[in-house]
Amino acid sequence: MSQVQSSAGPILTTDGIPLKVSLKKAERKNKIRAFLLVLPLLAFIVITFLIPIGDMLARSIDDRQINTVFPKTFEIYKKWDRKGLPSEEVYKTMFFELKESEGYSIGKASTRMNYSKSGWKSLLKKSKRKFKKIEEGPYKEKMIAVDKKWGDPEYWLALGQMVDPTTMGYYLNAVDLKYDSNKNIVQQKENRRIYNKTWIKTFKVSILVTLFCLLLGYPISYLLATLPMKYSNLLMICVLLPFWTSLLVRTVAWMVMLQQKGVFNNLMVMAGLIADENRWQLMYNQTAVIIVMTQILLPFMVLPLYSVMKTISPTYMRAALNLGASPLHAFYKIYMPNSIPGVSAGCLLVFILAIGYYITPELVGGKDGQMVGNWIAYHLKTTLNWGLCAALGAILLAMMTALYWAYNKIVGIENIKLG
Amino acid sequence: MKKAIKAAFLGLISMAYVGSAIADITFVSWGGAYTNSQQKAYIDTWSKGSGVTVESYNGGLGEIKAQVEAGNVTWDVVDVLPDQAITGCDEGLFAKVDQSSFIKDMVVPPVSDCVVPQIFWAYTAFYSKSAFPGKKPKNIKDFFDVKKFPGKRGIHTWANALIEMALVADGVKAKNVYKVMSTPEGIDRAFAKLDTIKDHVVFWSAGSKPLELVSSGEVVMSLAYNGRIGAAILSEGKDFEYIWDATVLEQEYLVAIKGGNEKEALEFMAHASTAQALADQAKYIPYGPMRKSSIGIIKKGEPWFIKEGGNIDILPHMPTAPKVLKRAVIADPVWWADNGAEVSERFGAWKGN
Repeated sequence: MSQVQSSAGPILTTDGIPLKVSLKKAERKNKIRAFLLVLPLLAFIVITFLIPIGDMLARSIDDRQINTVFPKTFEIYKKWDRKGLPSEEVYKTMFFELKESEGYSIGKASTRMNYSKSGWKSLLKKSKRKFKKIEEGPYKEKMIAVDKKWGDPEYWLALGQMVDPTTMGYYLNAVDLKYDSNKNIVQQKENRRIYNKTWIKTFKVSILVTLFCLLLGYPISYLLATLPMKYSNLLMICVLLPFWTSLLVRTVAWMVMLQQKGVFNNLMVMAGLIADENRWQLMYNQTAVIIVMTQILLPFMVLPLYSVMKTISPTYMRAALNLGASPLHAFYKIYMPNSIPGVSAGCLLVFILAIGYYITPELVGGKDGQMVGNWIAYHLKTTLNWGLCAALGAILLAMMTALYWAYNKIVGIENIKLG
Repeated sequence: MKKAIKAAFLGLISMAYVGSAIADITFVSWGGAYTNSQQKAYIDTWSKGSGVTVESYNGGLGEIKAQVEAGNVTWDVVDVLPDQAITGCDEGLFAKVDQSSFIKDMVVPPVSDCVVPQIFWAYTAFYSKSAFPGKKPKNIKDFFDVKKFPGKRGIHTWANALIEMALVADGVKAKNVYKVMSTPEGIDRAFAKLDTIKDHVVFWSAGSKPLELVSSGEVVMSLAYNGRIGAAILSEGKDFEYIWDATVLEQEYLVAIKGGNEKEALEFMAHASTAQALADQAKYIPYGPMRKSSIGIIKKGEPWFIKEGGNIDILPHMPTAPKVLKRAVIADPVWWADNGAEVSERFGAWKGN
């Protein structure tokens, strides 16, 4: 190719510059102008989206803090064989690093240490206060005299998880695993295994909500797309009206409807369908979460479905019927394949929204309706274990990305249509 | 580079805030009748120049930590629970306070160097008199006894106070509760007791919910914040009755956020923690002041609680009344700061299974 060009000589513009160069120059100007136009949006996305996500990912593996507070202790600790209690030297280094620490570093470190073994928090605080009076060794005995927790190997073994400046510990925690003192991965204590169950529950609820939304949304959208304008407009308002109502108002309204002494149960009892003492438990459990979330997310299914169905020409169906297909067969062969882009868009949208839901499970979830979002909120606010929050969030993000990728491979992302 | 961008961005945001709120302080509390009582007792009477903006939050240190870490503090004075008062002070989120003026006057010593005293509030069991026409539940054992008193129970969605109450219901003396809780067997015992009512509970998380649950008959008895029960009885005339047994007393403090308008915040906190201010608060909500001399002021002034058509004696509704205190558990914030996360995860597992 290049040989051909060089033998023929480059095409020149009137002022003698090769056409290619001149074209590029003109294009570059346009490109810069286009780039400047999108620059505000790009900056906005970087600042509000990419940086926070990067920050979150960094937090989920960051374990430096503790190493900067007790650097020497950890240095010697690594040599300890993890049997019995550590040597006097470890105690002595810990003693001085704790006694001489300044500012709030101990407070922050103790919060971190408390995640791996409950009790470190008050132990460090109390010890720091009492160590002031201790002038000389033997430190091991004196520290144990201050608090007998210093003589409990469990506390020392727990430090083993934190020797490195980066950790996968938060991710392990998020799937009910943990490090032992030699950084081997082991199962979490049985009565603290909650996250795997929560993950499964979150997926189950999200999938069911998506499914119910599809089952309910498909016929509605079909009606919306095929009814004459004056009816379909009215129907559309019925779909949109709850969409414009506050999420909280709708959730609370469901509470009134579904609780045991609520409207629904009262009607059922009045109609004699259920006995007064056997009222259905429809609120404050997983059933409630699924019912309420389905209603709240329904418009996100109906709108993409409707906009796709609107574009399916009614003549297709008429043609199929004309050619002898039964209505069911025609629907299955003609209408459904045409509506798939809307179904995909709706399902993906509803599923993504559902999997991160927080406020509805919090309000109506009761004992078994809590989802991953609720645990993230708990650790974010109450235990300040932001590393674990970040890990849970990162796993959610990874799952969504994986889902998107799989979807793209199987169905193809170009098949998504919002209208 | 990343840091620079972040700093520039946060700088821009904070400039926007500073511009709009010079010298004003933002007071953050829990909302509802409680904030209302604070408003009337010491915000309305605050006259030292700086205005006070009141905001509500749902507890926790999450927002505060985020503000301090980003260097963009928009909250100045926050009403916090004691375990958060400890953690926040240790981690440098709160400013230190001169406690010399009130430390000797406090019912219990302050939990950290960063706090000024507010009130005692309590988790209390209660029921509607109409739900039990015959025999009435008298103690926490009855709350955990679904055979003797059939029907649903309302409990909150977190573990605090439930562990303590379950142990007392299982026969542990109120004053030994934390000794038992500090052993793994003690926690097992509490959960075993909770198991006995598990199929009969309705969970709540918002403070107004238990009152609704009991009023509507959804549950026959429930745990709730004592102030909410008191307000319903005193102001709305509901037929609720307290079960003053194994009442779990919690403390409530004010703190100043580091990096906010600290000077104004500390001045305001001094004003908001005088014996008079705490006593005045009890005119509007039945919580127990943390200063001994406030109780004296109330005693002299009874009937203290303000109500149209005649004031009412407030001391019998307070969780710090002597007859209540005798059978109460004073929550140990240090234990919860240490073990809260672990017990909460276990409680979550218990709830979900």
